[in-house]
Amino acid sequence: MAADPRDPSGLREQIVENQQTIDRLNRDLARKSNEVRVIQQISSEITSTLDLDEVLEIVLRALDGILGFAHSMILLKDLADDVLRVAATRGYAEPGAGARVRMGEGVIGVVGERRRMMRIGNIGASVRYLRSVRARMEAAGEVGPGEASASLPGLPDAQSQLALPLTVKDRLVGVLAVESRTPNAFDELDEVLLRIVGNQAATAIDNARTYQMVERLGRLKRFFSPQLAELIIRGGADDPLKTHRREVAVVFLDLRGFTAFAETSEPEELMGVLREYHAEMGKLILAHEGTLERFTGDGMMIFFNDPLPVPDAAERAVRMAVAMRERAAELAARWHRSGYDLDLGIGVAKGFATIGAIGFEGRWDYGAIGTVTNLAARLCSEAKPGQILISPRLLPELEQILEVEEVGLLAVKGLARPVRALNIVRLRNPA
Amino acid sequence: MGILPDEIKPAMQGVIPSHVVTCARDGTPNASAISQVYYVDPDHVALSHQFFNKTKRNIEENPRAAVWVINPETFETWDLELEFVRSETKGPVFDVMEMQIEAIASMVGMKGIFKLRAADIFRVTAVTKTVGERLPLAEIPGLR
Repeated sequence: MAADPRDPSGLREQIVENQQTIDRLNRDLARKSNEVRVIQQISSEITSTLDLDEVLEIVLRALDGILGFAHSMILLKDLADDVLRVAATRGYAEPGAGARVRMGEGVIGVVGERRRMMRIGNIGASVRYLRSVRARMEAAGEVGPGEASASLPGLPDAQSQLALPLTVKDRLVGVLAVESRTPNAFDELDEVLLRIVGNQAATAIDNARTYQMVERLGRLKRFFSPQLAELIIRGGADDPLKTHRREVAVVFLDLRGFTAFAETSEPEELMGVLREYHAEMGKLILAHEGTLERFTGDGMMIFFNDPLPVPDAAERAVRMAVAMRERAAELAARWHRSGYDLDLGIGVAKGFATIGAIGFEGRWDYGAIGTVTNLAARLCSEAKPGQILISPRLLPELEQILEVEEVGLLAVKGLARPVRALNIVRLRNPA
Repeated sequence: MGILPDEIKPAMQGVIPSHVVTCARDGTPNASAISQVYYVDPDHVALSHQFFNKTKRNIEENPRAAVWVINPETFETWDLELEFVRSETKGPVFDVMEMQIEAIASMVGMKGIFKLRAADIFRVTAVTKTVGERLPLAEIPGLR
């Protein structure tokens, strides 16, 4: 150590140094006891809920309130794509939720890709340094003009970042990141603390996500076959609730005489008939992989080619319709013996529809809107007992398998001209 | 107990760039700015090797170097004397350095262009904290 001429023995310097050491130890001790508080507080709070947003909020609030990390965010790995998405933030003017970070992009993206913690305290200096290197290389023609740098969520002028991969059994759940405008804002102790929080957060987030998925799966299973609902949840199919346009084959069915039956029969009889009818038709819908859009008492609307695309939507629709007619005839025979005058009528049409979530916050339904659904409903309402009325648009591709008869012209709401209606007499080659 | 005290760590985060001085075989000195001196353990530091430059060549000819690092909070300067040990292209030290460089490179559109070739590990043979004012340049022996 260099001797100071004013303090030859180095005494003053020694005292200053000792005081610094004592201060540092006190700081470390205070934070160590924080560590214990963090473990206690977070673990009790975090396990009390399965709500994902609440879990994220608890983690970020604890980081801020107990540990003093004022700017923090949690990004979750997308279930389908290899990207991280901002799920919750704290300490920013803009919440920024939903922003994407590609793997390998910036501190957070690299942490996600490598699944290793990173602490960096000189972002500003490093970026300036690299920009100057880049400028020199560009001037020397060694690299082309720079691609636009990715815009990353967080503080635009962050100097320090500490980012931790959130993993459960080696599977990446997301990234937890804290940042600061102060250089060197984080040290090794912060790493330890963040790791403690991160381990608990990862498990809690994963549980909440699983729970959310199970819940969502339950909702989707109302509309789709269980296999398809799982496919959607795992990200193998597009979200069917997002509005989209697609050509579909639509089947409408309802029971002739149902209104009169409902007026004259006992509720128990009515529900018994409906249950039997729904159960039998439901089996056929599943067997043909149709999508049940809705029940309205005795009416049902089923379509094909959404959300799961099928090459033979029209054929599936008419095959299902014919199978339903046959099954309904058996049921009707029994109903007639009990004195119930009920028969099935079916309408089938094909065309483009707008499909997705229809409704309002708190009550959403998956549905299709378009002339094709009106047409199928209209054909259904015109069908006499045991008839399956189809629109001529189905004919070209189904001529080989269908034997049909002309029924006449129908006026349909939304269509300027009347539409020809054809009844399916039978399938030429029943499946 | 190694040679590097804990309190030197803030000076090794690259907030204030450091300088490294090396000598060629014939004794010609070279001083060069470097972005960061990495703390490895109480006896070792690492310098990043991205490009083949004069520092790298000098180290091959003469494995001794001197660096100074500055604590950005207190502006204390530490002088370190180093002796080259080895170049690492994998392992925990390399990984930590490489991750940081990749993160920054991706922020300025230099991913894949600017990358860590090796982590050069040096043993610290002497460390001095220069407290208080530095000597005016004129008083440094041998410098006029």
